[in-house]
Amino acid sequence: MPGADKETAITERIEAFLADLKRGGSGTGPLRGSGEMARETTYLLRRITAQARWSSAGDLMEIIRNEGRRMTAAQPSETTVGNMVRRVLKIIREEYARSRGSSEETEQQESLHKLLTSGGLSEENFRQQFVHLKANVIEAINELLTELDGTTDNIAMQALEHIHSNEVIMTVGRSRTVEAFLKDAARKRKFHVIVAECAPFCQGHEMATGLSKAGIETTVIADAAIFAVMSRVNKVIIGTQTVLANGGLRAVNGAHSVALAARHHSTPLIICAPMFKLSPQFPNEEDTFHKFVSPHEMLPFTAGEILSKVNVHCPVFDYVPPELITLFISNIGGNAPSYIYRLMSELYHPEDHEL
Amino acid sequence: MSSRGGKQKKGNVTSEQEEEEQPLQAVLVADSFNRRFFPISKDQPRALLPLGNVAMIDYTLEFLTSTGVQETFVFCCWMSNKIKDHLLKSKWCRPTSPNVVHIITSDLYRSLGDVLRDVDAKNLVRNDFILVYGDVVSNIDVSQALQEHRHRRKVDKNISVMTMVFKESSPGHKSRCEEDDVIVAMDSKSKRVLHYQKTQGLKKLQFPMNIFQHGSDEFEVRHDLLDCHISICSPQVAELFTDNFDYQTRSDFVRGILVNEEILGNQIHLYVTQDGYGARVSNLQMYDSVSSDMVRRWVYPLTPEANFTDQQGQGCTHSRHNVYRGAEVSLGQGSQMEENVLIGRDTSIGANCRISNSVIGNNCTIGDNVVLDRAYMWNNVHISSNVEIHQSVVCDGAVVKEAVRLNKQCVLAYNVVIGPNLSLPEGTVVSMHHPEEEEEDDDDEFLSDDQEVGHSKDKTRQKAFNPAEVGPEGKGYIWKASMDDTEDEELAQCLWGLVLNPDPESDSESEASEESQDHSRSVSPEIDDVNAFQLEVLGTLQRGLEENIVCDNLVLEINSLKYAYNITLKEVMQILTRVVLEYPFQQQGTQLTTLQYTGSLLPLLKTWSPVFKNYIKRPQDHLDCLSAVEELFLEQDTHQTAMVKVLMKMYQLEILEEEAILKWFSTGATNDKSRQLRKNQGLQKFIKWLEEAEDESSEEGE
Repeated sequence: MPGADKETAITERIEAFLADLKRGGSGTGPLRGSGEMARETTYLLRRITAQARWSSAGDLMEIIRNEGRRMTAAQPSETTVGNMVRRVLKIIREEYARSRGSSEETEQQESLHKLLTSGGLSEENFRQQFVHLKANVIEAINELLTELDGTTDNIAMQALEHIHSNEVIMTVGRSRTVEAFLKDAARKRKFHVIVAECAPFCQGHEMATGLSKAGIETTVIADAAIFAVMSRVNKVIIGTQTVLANGGLRAVNGAHSVALAARHHSTPLIICAPMFKLSPQFPNEEDTFHKFVSPHEMLPFTAGEILSKVNVHCPVFDYVPPELITLFISNIGGNAPSYIYRLMSELYHPEDHEL
Repeated sequence: MSSRGGKQKKGNVTSEQEEEEQPLQAVLVADSFNRRFFPISKDQPRALLPLGNVAMIDYTLEFLTSTGVQETFVFCCWMSNKIKDHLLKSKWCRPTSPNVVHIITSDLYRSLGDVLRDVDAKNLVRNDFILVYGDVVSNIDVSQALQEHRHRRKVDKNISVMTMVFKESSPGHKSRCEEDDVIVAMDSKSKRVLHYQKTQGLKKLQFPMNIFQHGSDEFEVRHDLLDCHISICSPQVAELFTDNFDYQTRSDFVRGILVNEEILGNQIHLYVTQDGYGARVSNLQMYDSVSSDMVRRWVYPLTPEANFTDQQGQGCTHSRHNVYRGAEVSLGQGSQMEENVLIGRDTSIGANCRISNSVIGNNCTIGDNVVLDRAYMWNNVHISSNVEIHQSVVCDGAVVKEAVRLNKQCVLAYNVVIGPNLSLPEGTVVSMHHPEEEEEDDDDEFLSDDQEVGHSKDKTRQKAFNPAEVGPEGKGYIWKASMDDTEDEELAQCLWGLVLNPDPESDSESEASEESQDHSRSVSPEIDDVNAFQLEVLGTLQRGLEENIVCDNLVLEINSLKYAYNITLKEVMQILTRVVLEYPFQQQGTQLTTLQYTGSLLPLLKTWSPVFKNYIKRPQDHLDCLSAVEELFLEQDTHQTAMVKVLMKMYQLEILEEEAILKWFSTGATNDKSRQLRKNQGLQKFIKWLEEAEDESSEEGE
């Protein structure tokens, strides 16, 4: 029976993806960029939509929610995965609403009146069956994939508006988005980039090599020198791992100190973050917020006897509060941190915040 | 979009097209073949003992899977049913698992050697495979080592048979196991192992001379290596185990390969890694340190909260100071989890407890005012109030009553009850099994955990708990802290390894044995072997003479003897020379005159010259042979005059070359006696003649 074959093929796929997530990152953060992770998740969700057995939108949402829960549990720090699950859920809701003939607008409107009268869009409303729902959902997911493919380019395109000639730009660690952003600007403008190496993983070295290959004047500094150099810097442009619901960041270790130094010198701090990094998570969810990896980089295993006498921790992320951030540049334009809540409600359905 | 488990592996092998199709295989030995964990492992095989609330074998399988292994053979012996049940329930046997696990059980395995012989007999491996024990915890990425291994095998035509994975860690590191402490001499460039020795707390170590003369520019002698017990083996390894039925363990194998290196041409290589973590839980002390390393996240991403076994309800959360909590954990008022604490699900802890550096299993109850430090509690343990536990292991179902104090390195095995009001001294082991059962079992094999226990005796002794030892309500028998009745050469057979009696001498210093020309014995593995070998060679030659056997066959026979007794090529030659030269004495008594001696010896030399020529090829061999001759004549000083004749004859028979003789004469003298020997008139004349012959160029040569 081909159906059964497909089912096992897809569960195998999911298991492999989960295993990959669990092993994800041997210490230096994710092996792949979060952009790739987002794409992979979406591919997988598209496949589930196409191959899993479901008859109504409600079933499909339940399946995707279940898988989504497992995926996020496998690697809680990889918020992109959860974000993509929420996006897909939102797509299903929209397509369902469209199939029912009711306009999206009315479904989405959150008025005080509606909140008080009905219990929101409850599950039994998704039980109706539509012939074209599957095709429509897949079509919409394909659109989402196209959007994901274009994010980095969209962000990079805005580079010329933000970077001017002879400016000194500081960045920290390595971000693919920031790299593309700077390289795009370098085609027209001449400027100087200072890269903080971002110990202990020193992703900054990689970044600097990439930039200097593109012909950008690049300097690598130690993290300790960030404050000293900051006075000469015109702009700080960094990437992030996640944009939190309050407009804060969960970014690479060291980002907080850069942000504080920038605030001290009143240097603008610009964040390059594609929309898929926007997460409905708040920074107070302590347990999953941090990610601690092997202390090897801090104090190598070869150090010997001392290791039994000390506790070494090696966190990967920093929290940067929203008030230190000047501007977010996403694939749909620039936004202030205070506007994040609005973007959030456009991207995700409030019922999906908790998977 | 390749998010499959085998992705890493595929990426690495692309350079070697022909091997790409073969799935990577692994052999996992889920038996320890020793009794380190003894009273505990009587009820549960070692591979299933929980480490951080996860069975050890799961760590090993996860490690294998994450390195891209697609097919694993699990060999179990002791309590194989339990292991089988466990594996069948785990995620490894789900149809979606990227790593196919085959379980092979047999009660006949007594050692690693047996397992590998079985691998060979069943023809299980087709390609290079990874060999690990079921108690290895690691996150090392061996793909690099695998690549190096394959590259070597490609370049050198299957000469390298094994690559051992070692981790750099300086002496004094707590996860270095004293028993596995090794000294390794390796070639810096090719990473080839030249010498491998367990230090076993020795202060002086000897290195064979040949590793210094090995001819490579650089070599390293390293003591900063931690044996991860992960080896990448080629299929030949299994065959070699079959060929050499006396190999029991991997160190036997390594020693055998190194000794026979010149003949078989097999080599062993080393892969030293700085990243990653790898250790084998070989005794309780290692259990302690691996557990605490795991809780301190050294084995990331194999951390407790990752729930890599994918069991329902096993998940836990990780918060500051490495405190992990499972689901439904309740903590009483005033209790503190200080640091590095892992608590399994459904465990409840009373008020005012202090817990640090501990692992507590599922479903435990802990009373009030309890102090736990470095305590390892498994599942369903019940601890009453006012208990203090330091660095101890409490197994499943054990009950500790009120006001009990467990001092360091205590072990409470399954279902033991202790207390109340008792303090167990350091190193106490309590088990529901009576120690005498074990001693009776000791008579047969001491190698393995796997003795069936006579349960009938259990009942007769059921009443005999000693309240003074285990408390008024206690159940269990005290085991002697150290079982000195096992005649092991290793220092301690006890659960906690060597730590019980910290060895002041353990900081071993290495020292190369200074040897010169007369290094006849120091290289030998065991003197007995050498003597036995000498007798055998003598017998062979005798028979050869009586039955007129062709010299080629004699060579064959000597070669096979060489393997049987583990003798180096150099020794073969020295012994052969000795045997031949002593042959007349053997046959006709020692009262021979010099004339008679030479008379009977010279024809013999002629007969056996092909045998000599077979072994004496390189210039070094000539010198070795000459030194053997010299040594013999130093002993038989009445016959020193015969020496010239012997040398002359050997020279004429083209066994020895004149350059070698001249070199030996000019440089060989090391002590008074041998200088005396060189003053011998006949010898001087002979040398002079040789020198002249050389001057007058080649015609005179013969």
